[in-house]
Amino acid sequence: MDFAEAAVDTPEGRLAARVVAAAPGLDREAEAQLIRLLAPRVRRYGQRHLRDDHAADDLVQQVLTLTLEKLRAGAVAAPGQIASFVLGTCRRTVIEQFRGERRREGLLQRYADDLPLADLHVAPRLDHERVARCLERLAERERAVIVLSFYEEQAAGDVGRHLGLSAGNVRVIRHRGIDKLRRCVDAGRGMAA
Amino acid sequence: MNRTANHPGGLALVDYWLGDADAATTEAIDAHLLACDACGAEFDAIVALARGVRGAFAQGRVASVVTAAFVAQLKAEGRRVREYHVPRGGSVVCSVAPEDEVLVSRIDAPLAGVARLDAVVSRSHGLEGEERLHDLPFDAAAGEVLLANALAEVRGMPAHDTVVRLLAVDAGGERELGRYTFHHRAST
Repeated sequence: MDFAEAAVDTPEGRLAARVVAAAPGLDREAEAQLIRLLAPRVRRYGQRHLRDDHAADDLVQQVLTLTLEKLRAGAVAAPGQIASFVLGTCRRTVIEQFRGERRREGLLQRYADDLPLADLHVAPRLDHERVARCLERLAERERAVIVLSFYEEQAAGDVGRHLGLSAGNVRVIRHRGIDKLRRCVDAGRGMAA
Repeated sequence: MNRTANHPGGLALVDYWLGDADAATTEAIDAHLLACDACGAEFDAIVALARGVRGAFAQGRVASVVTAAFVAQLKAEGRRVREYHVPRGGSVVCSVAPEDEVLVSRIDAPLAGVARLDAVVSRSHGLEGEERLHDLPFDAAAGEVLLANALAEVRGMPAHDTVVRLLAVDAGGERELGRYTFHHRAST
């Protein structure tokens, strides 16, 4: 499946080029904008691959610290494709974390205060009571599959194995249930607003 | 923005989040999310929904069929799980304690050959009424059905009896697989 972005001229690429052009000085405004743009993206990568919000926040700090360091030093080969550089750094950092390497601690101590992350975008939180009310409206199968899938973040095969369902069947039920659940939660939000 | 791409869509992002996407698709979505904020927002909404479900269940607001493996995992994580195991035709005196976090009814049933499973739940003592749960998921080989109760709701209930009847349903009609009585004592 190809979801590749053809990054011809992107905001993050332009900002990265500004950071490089300012060296050996600093373009603080470009750096801050670049961090604001990239931080939520790196955080999502961390959420997916580290399954922990705190670890994801640490990943943001590590990856973006290194990114700025490399841009300032002119060590990024193609600043216009900074997203590719960041992705590679995310992958290497997560692998290093799994190997238990401690480089990140040294990086954080050196540069953590240098990152303007105070206004980092964080995914919204839903009202649990509203979610519960919407779950109640689902068919029993849909509710069971969604609870088992999301509570333990289990793949379809694992959920289905203990419910007498195939992985494919779990995915169909899950997708149908999520669609209903989202519509219900979103409708409740609209009414509350 | 000057970009062109196929966007993965919500269903692919759910698969990605839950580990149901293959390695190549996962890598492709990793790369896409590093460049596409619209899909990032969609991903955030899925994660928020997942966290909302987790939170609602953790707070005891959701009743659902669960599995023995799921209950074992909750215990392994240190959650306080109270279980009541009821044989066919049996009964149990039950209650909940303040420290309980999850309340599970485990009921034995001969599920081999059952095409569809329904449950009829009726309560006494001021909570009269009958609720039918349609088409419960089950593992025929397990020989039991596990129901996680909405603990927050149960805590507020007075002493009463709950009778659960499990029904096998097929084109020819329905037959009772078992009847189970829970003598609930109010929380202290």
